[in-house]
Amino acid sequence: MASLNTFGAILTYAINLEERLRDYYQAAGNATRAQGADKRRQTLERIRREYVVEITLEPIDGLDEANYVFAFDNPAAQRDIESTAARFYADVSPKINVRQAQRALERCGKEHHELAQA
Amino acid sequence: MAKKLKNYIGGEWVESITSDYIPVHNPATCELLAECPDSTYEDVDRAVQAALEGFDEWRRTPVMNRAQYMYRFKTLLEDRFEDLSRTVVQENGKTLDEARGEVRRGIESVDFATGMPFLMRADGLEDVSSGIDEFTMRQPAGVFAAITPFNFPAMVPLWFLPTAITCGNTFILKPSPQTPISMDILFEILEELDLPEGVVNLVQGGKASSMAIMEHPGVKGVSFVGSTPVAKLVYETCTRHGKRVQAQGGAKNYIAVMPDANMEASVKNIMGAAYGCAGQRCLAAAVVVGVGEAYDKVRDEVAKQAQNLRVGYGLNETTQMGTVVSAAAKDRIENLIQRGVDEGAKVVLDGRNISVDGFKEGTFVGPTILGDVTPDMTVAKEEIFGPVLSLMKAENFDEAVELINNSRYGNAASIFTTNGGYARDFKYRVNAGNIGINIGVAAPSASFPFGGQKDSFFGDLHGQGTDSVEFYTERKIVIERWI
Repeated sequence: MASLNTFGAILTYAINLEERLRDYYQAAGNATRAQGADKRRQTLERIRREYVVEITLEPIDGLDEANYVFAFDNPAAQRDIESTAARFYADVSPKINVRQAQRALERCGKEHHELAQA
Repeated sequence: MAKKLKNYIGGEWVESITSDYIPVHNPATCELLAECPDSTYEDVDRAVQAALEGFDEWRRTPVMNRAQYMYRFKTLLEDRFEDLSRTVVQENGKTLDEARGEVRRGIESVDFATGMPFLMRADGLEDVSSGIDEFTMRQPAGVFAAITPFNFPAMVPLWFLPTAITCGNTFILKPSPQTPISMDILFEILEELDLPEGVVNLVQGGKASSMAIMEHPGVKGVSFVGSTPVAKLVYETCTRHGKRVQAQGGAKNYIAVMPDANMEASVKNIMGAAYGCAGQRCLAAAVVVGVGEAYDKVRDEVAKQAQNLRVGYGLNETTQMGTVVSAAAKDRIENLIQRGVDEGAKVVLDGRNISVDGFKEGTFVGPTILGDVTPDMTVAKEEIFGPVLSLMKAENFDEAVELINNSRYGNAASIFTTNGGYARDFKYRVNAGNIGINIGVAAPSASFPFGGQKDSFFGDLHGQGTDSVEFYTERKIVIERWI
């Protein structure tokens, strides 16, 4: 597993996560949650494009994909998946040094936390 | 099969008349990406004629409408953002984040150009004498050209083209033959705008086409970014031929680190400044001056963080530093490192002979740190343009400022400190065009001119910001009365 050590690596991981969540919920017949995931994916793609700040790109340490395991093959694992997603966003957002991007990640984390509690 | 690149002249893709083509390789994989024509004087002449023919209609297009083209240009650039960023990685070798960052900054220049209806306005004064009014008109000046470098193949052309054409000029771009593909894509995008023929023209090539641009009587002015010797040549040639010129040259950017600086956070930023784009940027941090007790701390922290940087292929998101642009660049950088060692510098971290799995032939140079560098050493004086950071020691703040001001270059300088007094004194006294306070890469945003002093800049008006509007326009004074 590669570590999440750059702005792009974190954002791309988050985008892929939301894409997989969208597909997961589509397969489960939950259109509302699938739409929510796709909206977050679109937001994160925009954030990756608009808030990459060339002059403050810095190495990021202490984060690894291996810490986040998602059971996308288990239709009954929704709560675990959402909890893990919330934990991922909580871990990565403080590592991002652009406030607007950080806020977007925090918002995703909050949404996943609420979905895990639902 | 590698694409055989064409020129874009008068609204059409046309083959160069040359039979000489320059291979364009991916510096990480060594894959042949494209073949770039080494265009000739005749190719440039054809572009100039097209630009001259297109000028009259374009200058009569209202500036509000010219600005509308920029809004559409921005939208199309956003749509092709990833495509363009990935191309920059493939032809230049930098990381995907760095490429995205450069495309973003390029788009900021397009944003700036959308403000031209306001930026081009001039002023006036009534009754300068009884019944006589006087005012200024700002008008486009004709055909402009830009000769741009390999290190920011998407961003630097966008410093110039959007502003130049939104001012009402027509334009010729000649990118580096080492990285011509980004501009091939950019002109595909421009083609979608349906600009009138001749407004934008692309001539691919090397020295012959550059000289043709500088000497052609139909070209009003030239923007250039590259090394100092070439910038000087461009400045001298263009002025000899009666042209406006803005020529940005090389650099040797110093960073002073004060003992009161937040060392870990400062060095994190210095990592990006020194090793971002593998050190191949004119604002790269080349020398860190540790002041007093900061020297040992900054050396140890830089070494700790630099040795953890992941070097690899830029298209891999986890890569933190990519390749240098070519095998020739790698050789030159490694030779300069050796020269530093021979002259007495101490190797704190050696990036030579780095090997990257899966990319054995890639032109990688790992992060390198040379310690105990003194002002007389070549590595302290010459631009290395690679991932090599030299460490120098100063006893105090004044000595650090003196070291910095003794450099023949004056592109950028930064200070890391928590002391406002040092910060103020630094920006007041240091002779560099771009000053960073706790910022290692002092790159101005699009609405500010890109500074540069001493041997880092030749000309009067800089690129970007309102300087660029001045550069790309003529001011005409009208004195008027009705009798």
